[in-house]
Parts: sequence; structure tokens; C-alpha cells
Amino acid sequence: MEKEMNVTDNDNFDTMADQELIVLRKTISVDQKFATGPVMGKFLTALKDKRILAIQCPECGRLQSPPREMCAICRVRNREWVEIGPRGEMRMMEYCYYSSPDPLTGESRETPYGAIGILLDGCQKEEVFWHLLRPEHLEMVEMGIVMGDRVTRGTRLRPVWAQERSGSIDDIKYFEIDE
Amino acid sequence: MGFKKKNRHVGIVGIGETKFSSHREDVNQPEMIHEAVKDALEDAGLTMDDIDCVVHGNMELFEMVHQPDLWHTLGTGARGKDAFRLTTGGTTGGTLVGAADNLVAAGMYDTVLAIGFEKLQEGHTTGGITNMADPLWARKLQSGALTDSAAVKAIAEFGPDRAKKAAMLYRIIMDKHACLNPNSHRAFGLDWDQMADLMENSPPLIGDLRLIHMCSQSDGACAMILSSEEKAKQQCDHPVWIRDHITIHREETLNLCVNHYPNETTHRFAARHLYERNGITDPLDYFDVFEMYDPSAWWGADWIRDFFLLEGDAHYRLIEEKEIMRGGKMPINPSGGVLAANPIGATAMVRVAEAAKQVRGNAGPHQIPGTVNHAIASSFGGTMWTILIMLEKELNW
Repeated sequence: MEKEMNVTDNDNFDTMADQELIVLRKTISVDQKFATGPVMGKFLTALKDKRILAIQCPECGRLQSPPREMCAICRVRNREWVEIGPRGEMRMMEYCYYSSPDPLTGESRETPYGAIGILLDGCQKEEVFWHLLRPEHLEMVEMGIVMGDRVTRGTRLRPVWAQERSGSIDDIKYFEIDE
Repeated sequence: MGFKKKNRHVGIVGIGETKFSSHREDVNQPEMIHEAVKDALEDAGLTMDDIDCVVHGNMELFEMVHQPDLWHTLGTGARGKDAFRLTTGGTTGGTLVGAADNLVAAGMYDTVLAIGFEKLQEGHTTGGITNMADPLWARKLQSGALTDSAAVKAIAEFGPDRAKKAAMLYRIIMDKHACLNPNSHRAFGLDWDQMADLMENSPPLIGDLRLIHMCSQSDGACAMILSSEEKAKQQCDHPVWIRDHITIHREETLNLCVNHYPNETTHRFAARHLYERNGITDPLDYFDVFEMYDPSAWWGADWIRDFFLLEGDAHYRLIEEKEIMRGGKMPINPSGGVLAANPIGATAMVRVAEAAKQVRGNAGPHQIPGTVNHAIASSFGGTMWTILIMLEKELNW
């Protein structure tokens, strides 16, 4: 970086062609903590007892799980709790070949894996629950489809609970075939 | 919706774009932004003295530089001026144009410079987007911007053969457009006879979403100068008028089930409201060009139906009959679209910039044939957020 930079000549980058360009590499690690709030806290606490809770909108009646404080569509506070599942029907799978980073650990995810939407028993329409499929079952499941009069059933699934549960998404290891 | 007509008309008087690329190590962030700002000022024949306010945006999680507007003042020219910073993920570029439109229309400023940028090679795009997800649940599950949901739904509706062909046809049309645009980051020179090979052999990312279907991670910046009607007419012979824009958000949940319940997307909702309040009954007939924020070929192919309020397979027929190509009934993305370049904070603004250049008739080698009187540009981001911006050649509505 000995040479003087020609900062007045914006048009002619050739004057900088013999300039040494340096790329600085940085890796940072940041500790984070997030408050759950009472609604998500109640849901996460129930996972410790192997129970999956949903919260219901008093106006449109839709269930949300993980629960939200409000129904964003009706703009009212959700108050009624309903236990759903824990078994359900496979409705949608993202069959992931691309190894994206897990922001909770910083590690790249092992592939392939299936991120799935499960219509847990007691839920309907778009009230699906988002979790992972047991990797060994990736090729063995069918997605259920609803399109007008055309309805096909998806593979039945059940959760596999972690031995040690702390009130987090990891309390469920994954869902596996229940047939 | 609480929509009010504009207080005064707003025109686009200057447009600047950098070359989009996967590697701009030759410049740092403010220098790259400066390229677009300088280009826009020269295009408008203005200097920074003419700019009353600067709005600036990107998605800061990508480069991990917080308040980049401070560092970037060197390139934006914002020192001593009113300035706002906006960041709404993929829609950022559209939000910037919408905000500048509002600031000028409201009478707060006569001339506003809007700047969108991203230097995706300096951070980790998928890592950044995954941090957008709710940290208590979805972060563990979300795979960045990658999703197979559009492919799953299209295949369920139209069968694998037709759906996969439509997505690949869309992809190759976009590449043919990109090859004419000198600013493209990716222009491969694909041809029709490669469809079968690409459908089979392009590396899979998620399900039927393959690498060839997905947009890139690009470096680049875009700048636009917007002025009030009075100023625009003084500054410019042919301003491009922003007739209207609409911005629609929804809650953060993703649609994770394969079904077709009557659940209107934000794209269709935005399009329906925008056309209704502007008295446009047949958008396919009305508009001459559409610049769509199409993050993947699967999404692009699917979304044509929502943006033009079509039903059934009308959108597939437009693709299959190549009516979305330059020279077709509805040219989509003569620039090559997001599949040609995706500097995220700039991407949605590039859609408006490219649509405006088509209206002016000086887009360059990718200018479409015929007069472009009416253009529309879309922005996409978050979990299905939509901005639509309508442009007009004449002030006659």
C-alpha cells in the first residue's frame, strides 16, 4: 500500500490497477438471548411434559402453534389454549440437499434432511406444525394434498421426544412414521 | 384500505445502476454506491446540490454492518442533508422508491435520491436470511431463502411434466433476456435444447428447486432520483411518472401445506387493489412490460397468475407460447430479472429502474420493441410481502 491513491479521478479505475487490493476476513461469534414472553413460554413449558399446545383466535377460530399473542388477521388477543396432536399427517416437506447454517449453533446442517409441515390431529386447513422428519424416513413419506375436491391423505407421523427436555424446539427430536 | 390520492405528481428524473457481479473486490461499499449515485446524477443532469433528501437501504444482516448509512455517506453524498434509512429485506428497493415517492408527493421534499445496495460476497446471505426467522422456533428449520413450496404446489396442480417444463422454459427465457443486458451478473447463453439436461442434472437445492432455478448472490447498487411534477419538468425532458404504488405485508408465518384453499396471496391482493383503484380491468392488456422480482424460476412462473389476476393455467400458456419474451404479449423482465442479478437491497429498485428505462425507450441492448406507455414493477420479500409500482410515460390518467 505504498502508492498514493488517485482519489480525485473517479472515472479512471485503471490508475488503481496496480494498487494492492486487500480483503480482510473476520469471523464473529455473538451470544444472544431472547425472552419468550408468557404465551410462547407456556407452549415451550408444555413440551417438557410431551404436550403440544395451540392457541385459538376468539374471532376466526384458527389455531396457531407455535402460539402467537395475537391473531394478526383479526387483530385480537388470543386467549384459549387447545392441546393438539401429538400425532398428525404429513402435509409438506422441504427435502433439503443444500447445507445451510444453523444460526443456533453456527454449524452447517447435515444433509439431506426434511423440514416438514404436519397437520396435527385437531387442526385443519393451514394449521400445520413446522418441525423435522426422521432422516431415515425421507424417502418413505407422502405429502397430503387438498385441491378443490381432490384430497389425498399424507403419511401418519408421530413425534419422537428427547430424553432430556428443556422447553425448546429440541424437546422433539423429529417426527417419524406412525404406521 | 386507507388509500389517499397523491398530493402532487412524482416523476423519475435520474437512474443509475452499477454492473452486477459476484465479485466487486475492486471497490468497497461506499465506492460501489458512489458508482450508482454518480450514474443517476449524470443521467438526470443534476448535482448533489439539487438533492433535498437521501433515502438509503439494504439488508444489514447480510454484511453485518450496522448503520451502514454512516460509512456510506462518503458514497451517498448525504452529508448535511436530510436522510432516512430503510430496510425491509427483499422488498427494500421497492420500499425505498415507495418512500421517496411518498416524500415528494407529500410536499416534504422536491427532489429525493433513493439508493439501494448490497455486497453479498462480504457476508453470508443464507445465514443472514435464516436469522430473519423467529429465534424461538423457525430458525432451526428455515433454510434461508430457499424453498421448494412453489414447485410442490405447481407439481400438485399441473403434474410434474408440465410444471417442470414451464419452470425451465421460464428460466431459459430469463437467460435469453439476461444475455442482452450488459449489467447482468449471470448470463449463461442457455438454449431450448438444454432444458431436459438442466431439469435432470442441475444440482438440487431443495426438492425440485435446482441451482439453475435460483437467483444468484450479487454485488451492486442502484440509485434513482425522484422529483415533483414542477421540478421534474424543469430537470428532465421525459420524466417517467409514478402513477401509484401499493405495499402489502402479512404476518410472519410461512405456508407449509400443499393445498389450494381460497387463501389470497399478497401478490394477488396487492394487484387487485392497485388495479381497482386505478380503474384497470385487464392488466394483461393495459401494461406493456412487467419487471418482476422473481427469486426463482418456480416462483416467477407461478406468480404471473397472481400479478395479472389470471385463473387456471393462463399463466402457463403465456410461458409455453413464449408470450413473456421480448416481443411477446407481455414481456416479463427484459433485463433478465432477479435470476440475472440479485444484489438484494438494490434488486427491487432495479426492477423499477429497468421498467422506467423501458418507458423512456433507452434501456440499451435489451430495450423491447414498440412503445412502452405503461409499466409495472414488483418487489418481494420477507414471507410473501409485496410492493407494486405503476409507471406511466404520459401524465394523462
